[in-house]
Amino acid sequence: MELREDASPASAFEKDAFQLTVEDVYDISYVIGRDLLKISSSGEEVSDLQFRIVRVLELFETVVKQYNLSVEELRLERDNLKTELDRILGENCTENVGPDQLVIDLKDPNRPRFTMQELKEVLQERNQLKAQLMVSQEELQMYKSGRLPMEPGMVEIDLESPPATDNGSAAGDDAREEPKDERTAISKL
Amino acid sequence: MAKKTYDLLFKLLLIGDSGVGKTCVLFRFSDDAFNTTFISTIGIDFKIKTVELQGKKIKLQIWDTAGQERFHTITTSYYRGAMGIMLVYDITNAKSFENISKWLRNIDEHANEDVERMLLGNKCDMEDKRVVPKAKGEQIAREHGIRFFETSAKANINIEKAFLTLAEDILRKTPVKEPNSENVDISSGGGVTGWKSKCCS
Repeated sequence: MELREDASPASAFEKDAFQLTVEDVYDISYVIGRDLLKISSSGEEVSDLQFRIVRVLELFETVVKQYNLSVEELRLERDNLKTELDRILGENCTENVGPDQLVIDLKDPNRPRFTMQELKEVLQERNQLKAQLMVSQEELQMYKSGRLPMEPGMVEIDLESPPATDNGSAAGDDAREEPKDERTAISKL
Repeated sequence: MAKKTYDLLFKLLLIGDSGVGKTCVLFRFSDDAFNTTFISTIGIDFKIKTVELQGKKIKLQIWDTAGQERFHTITTSYYRGAMGIMLVYDITNAKSFENISKWLRNIDEHANEDVERMLLGNKCDMEDKRVVPKAKGEQIAREHGIRFFETSAKANINIEKAFLTLAEDILRKTPVKEPNSENVDISSGGGVTGWKSKCCS
C-alpha cells in the first residue's frame, strides 16, 4: 500500500489532538492533498479519504471543545480571584488604617485610654510620694530609736493601736502636730 | 530639724532589654530577695539603699526602668540625672546582648557625659541555657572601656559587688566636700540636682 510507504506524514492522523504540532498539520494537509490528487486522476481510495476527513474533523472538534472548556475555566478562575482581591482590599480599608496606625475597639474595657504624658505624670507623682514615705519612715525610725529628741508639743502615738482608743486631748495634739510633720517631710524633698 | 542620715547621694539607673532581670537585680540588692514571677515594670520605679564606703554613708537612689520600647520616652528622661548606669543583658538571650550597642547609644544621647557605666550579664546561674559566652561580654565591655560582671539575682552572685563597685567608681570622681544633708530628688532629668546641698535649720 502506498500509505504504508509514506508512514511518516500519515502517522499524524494517529496522534492525540493535544500532541499535534504545526508540522503534523502540514503532514495531514499533505496526505489529504495527495489523496485528493489520486481521486481526481484515478477515482480510487475515496473511502480512505472520507475516513481521514472524518478523523480530521474529530480532531478539530476535540480541540475546539477543549479550548472552549479552558476559556470557561479561566473565566471562572479570574472571577474568583477578583472576588478574593476585593475582599482583601476591603479588609485593608477597615482593619489597617495606615501602616503605622492602630484601630481601637471602643467596647474593649482594656483599650488604651491615657497618653504617655499622663502616665509620666502619674509615675512622677507615685515616685514623689514613695520618696516622701521613705523620708517619713526614716524620720519615724529615728524618733522611735531616740536618736532625735521629741520636740515640745509632740506626743508619742502608738501607731499600732486603732485611733478610736485615743482620748480627746491626744487627738487634739495629734492635729496640731500634723502640719509640722508634713512640712518636715516636704522640706526634705 | 538638722539631721544627717547620709553623707552623699548617688543616683544610679538600670537599663537593658525587657526581661533581662533589672528589677530582680535591684530587688536582690535592696531587699536581698528574689521573686520568680515576671512583672513588667511600668515606666520607671526606684529603690533606696544606703551603703557605707570609705567611712562615708552613701545613699543610693537606684532607678529601675522599663525595658519595653513603649516606655522609651519616659525612661530616657531619667538618664540625665544618673551618675551611674548599669546596662543589663541576659546571658540566655542573644537579642538582649545584641541590643547592648543600642542601649549604649541611648546613654550617649541622653545621659551626662561623665556618667559611670557598667555592663552586667545577668542570669549566670542558668549555665545550661547560656548563649552569650562570658568572653563576649568581657570583650564588648573592654571595647567601650567599662566594667563588666556576670551576675545572678537568683543565686545572689556579684549583685552587691556590682553596685558597690559602681558606687566606688562614682565616689572616686566625687569632689571632696563637707558632708551635708543631701536631698532625695525624684524629679526627672534634673541634671546634677542630686549633688545640691541644702542648709537645714
